[in-house]
Amino acid sequence: MSRIGVFICHCGENISRTVDVERVAAHAAALPGVAYATEYKYMCSDPGQTLLKKAIREQRLTHVVVAACSPRMHERTFRKAVEAAGLNPYLCEMANIREHCSWVHEDREQATVKACDIVGMMVERTKKNRVLPTITVPVTKRSLVIGGGIAGIQAALDIADSGHEVVLVEREPSIGGHMAQLSETFPTLDCSQCIMTPKMVDVANHPKITLYTYSEIELVEGYIGNFQVTVRKRARSVDERTCTGCGVCMTKCPQKKIPNKFDQYIGMRTAIYVPFPQAVPNTPVIDRENCTRFKTGKCGVCQKVCGPGAVDFEQQDTLIVEAVGAIVVATGFDLYSISEKPKGSPIKGYGEFGHGKIPDVIDGMTFERLASASGPTGGKIVRPSDGREPKQIVFIQCIGSRAREKGISYCSKVCCMYTAKHTMLYHHKVHDGQAYVFFMDARTPGKSYDEFWRRSIEEEEAVYIRGMVSRLYQKGDKIVVMGSDIAVGVQVEIEADMVVLATAVQPQQGADLLAQKLGISYDKYNFYSEAHAKLRPVECATAGIFLAGACQGPKDIPETVSQASAAAAKVMTLFSKERLEREPIVARVREVGCVGCFACKKVCAYGAVEEKEIRDRQGNLLRVVASVNPGVCAGCGTCQATCPSKCVELDGYTDEQIVAMIEAL
Amino acid sequence: MDGPVKKKKMVISQETMDVDFVRKVEMLSDTSVRRCFQCGKCSAGCPMATFMEHPPNRVVRLLQLGQWQRILAGRSIWYCASCETCSTRCPNKVHLASIMDALRKLSWDAEGASKESYVQLANKLFLQNIRSYGRQYEMRLAAVFNVKSGQFLKDLMLGPKLFAKGKLKMFHSKNKNMAEIEKIFGRIEEMRKNGEAL
Repeated sequence: MSRIGVFICHCGENISRTVDVERVAAHAAALPGVAYATEYKYMCSDPGQTLLKKAIREQRLTHVVVAACSPRMHERTFRKAVEAAGLNPYLCEMANIREHCSWVHEDREQATVKACDIVGMMVERTKKNRVLPTITVPVTKRSLVIGGGIAGIQAALDIADSGHEVVLVEREPSIGGHMAQLSETFPTLDCSQCIMTPKMVDVANHPKITLYTYSEIELVEGYIGNFQVTVRKRARSVDERTCTGCGVCMTKCPQKKIPNKFDQYIGMRTAIYVPFPQAVPNTPVIDRENCTRFKTGKCGVCQKVCGPGAVDFEQQDTLIVEAVGAIVVATGFDLYSISEKPKGSPIKGYGEFGHGKIPDVIDGMTFERLASASGPTGGKIVRPSDGREPKQIVFIQCIGSRAREKGISYCSKVCCMYTAKHTMLYHHKVHDGQAYVFFMDARTPGKSYDEFWRRSIEEEEAVYIRGMVSRLYQKGDKIVVMGSDIAVGVQVEIEADMVVLATAVQPQQGADLLAQKLGISYDKYNFYSEAHAKLRPVECATAGIFLAGACQGPKDIPETVSQASAAAAKVMTLFSKERLEREPIVARVREVGCVGCFACKKVCAYGAVEEKEIRDRQGNLLRVVASVNPGVCAGCGTCQATCPSKCVELDGYTDEQIVAMIEAL
Repeated sequence: MDGPVKKKKMVISQETMDVDFVRKVEMLSDTSVRRCFQCGKCSAGCPMATFMEHPPNRVVRLLQLGQWQRILAGRSIWYCASCETCSTRCPNKVHLASIMDALRKLSWDAEGASKESYVQLANKLFLQNIRSYGRQYEMRLAAVFNVKSGQFLKDLMLGPKLFAKGKLKMFHSKNKNMAEIEKIFGRIEEMRKNGEAL
């Protein structure tokens, strides 16, 4: 005979406001098998847990039901407390009378009756709970970092410095990401290259880091502590081991007019190229789409001039399988484009700004390349159309961001600051020019950020105009900007030489596809979702996968670096144990009844079902039955619902228990 | 005149933003208009804001854009009572009362409705009297003010009372040292011409 203890929480007033907790306690106490029932204001607090532990010992309880919030919130808390009191933690269950009852009902009487029912059902289910031993799995103490921007670099360096091996995978030919493209950084105006490139070199030289550039994630299998990741290393057409990075191939390549993505397509590159001179690794890659050799079969100059003979036109993509225990996702962001979007896309362009067809209307990243000393103009700010220096320059903030009609309702967070920085860079380079900024709000919540923004106005003479621009159009060689100053309450018109748009931060293209490979969740914009917005901001809901940087949401550099280090710390915590404990709520196969149809194997999303041979003493094969690998099983219960012979059952959710719950109603 | 200018679209460029005028205002008031971030606290506490077509915050905003003509096209600066509530409460130490003062001074030479405002007219007539007589001649001041401002009967009934108390004289009296007074005026005019005074 079980002696169940029922503990009902007021959750401050969250539950007791709508549910008569005393009545629920009295109801529970009268249920068969219940030895003890009580209520308390905050059951999860230290006195609450002490009360629970004391009751387990004094009342000699065999099972525990805590009627409080969602198990997602505090199941771990109470199971730990139960374990501390000497019971198996899996003999403790939670009855959710907050999210499922008090929060969603207004009528006190009805809510109380429902709470009694929920508690009654959980009492019946808990009675049939088994003692479960904790499952432990080994941990592979290697980590995968996806994305070689500042987030990925920081996370990789931190993990590698702690002595664990890191595999860093980058899609582009060089690591560095967007930060390598920036000219200066706010709020101190130090040169981005100067603080970024040393870190890139550190990555290349670190003995614990294996770097795969020009590579993508093909497949992710396994689970926390034991992932198998297949990396597709795309054919570079240049052998990384023999190439010395002398660059002769690039000077001789006849294809010289290919717009360079790294320079926002305003600078040109050759068909065999490194995206920028400080690239890591400093090994060129052949862009097969634009290479004469690959298009017509002729040419091959690069191969002829290459001293060490590193150019290899026959090179193929290779697939590499890496075993890792943890994954840090740091795929970063992309920028919104005002041009017309294909039909069906939820994100729209800006017809009122000419859909990006006015040549001197550029985005913030293009301005960065113009202002960068290593950019295509050598740091000279000129108009892309005719190369003249713009004397009247207009910056417009919130392009795409906070524009629900265009499909994005969030704030991109970095634009206010980088626009302030742009006005300063412009003022430093064009002394007789004037910068204007159209803005709706200036959002500068960071250390020394507001001071930086004020400096751009008070000392660097930027004219900020509060109000959005309604239209841009070309008039001769000028761009007419039609806006309004809402402080004065009149329309404003400026004839500008150049317009810079602070376009919205969006997730990388294909972010959703990578998320599907990894099995992590993402929001409607394709930003990756954290496990808890406040208390678990770097973990994914999928165990063993962590987030760093702008792939989770718009972030500036300091925030990205902080999160990358936080993700690295989480990985190190994981690697600090030899074996990982896993929840033993897993499926079990009743082998006697299993007919070996393997319907369960087909539906298992985690690949946890294996085929097991049953042999007699002589080793003759008798039958093949299904078997669940408890290390892989996530406890979803799909197999249980599928099994035609009812031979797979999930611990804690057996048919017997579910029927008992229904009968308790 | 203030109607159309007030509502007209602002065409902003380096030519239309009169930075020199703003510098003068900043120099005279010893404050920076660029510091203002348009919180609106000055207008919130201004006892005269309801009478102004440009409340105090907008006066500063127009200065930031170098659009002083719009300010002087209205009479806001003359409604300011110099109570200094705005300056006391400003979170950015923008001394708005001083800015108003500076604008009133600068409006002497500037075109716009402010030039024809009653206060400006009264100031001018006051100084004219001093220049003519070396002291004030109230009867003439009141008469000319009423005629020039088009309010012929304004405060007429105060006349007999002041007259009975001896505050209004029928005839003017003249200072003995008119030559000295003329020298003072002459010197100020000279200085203004040379840009040594406003």
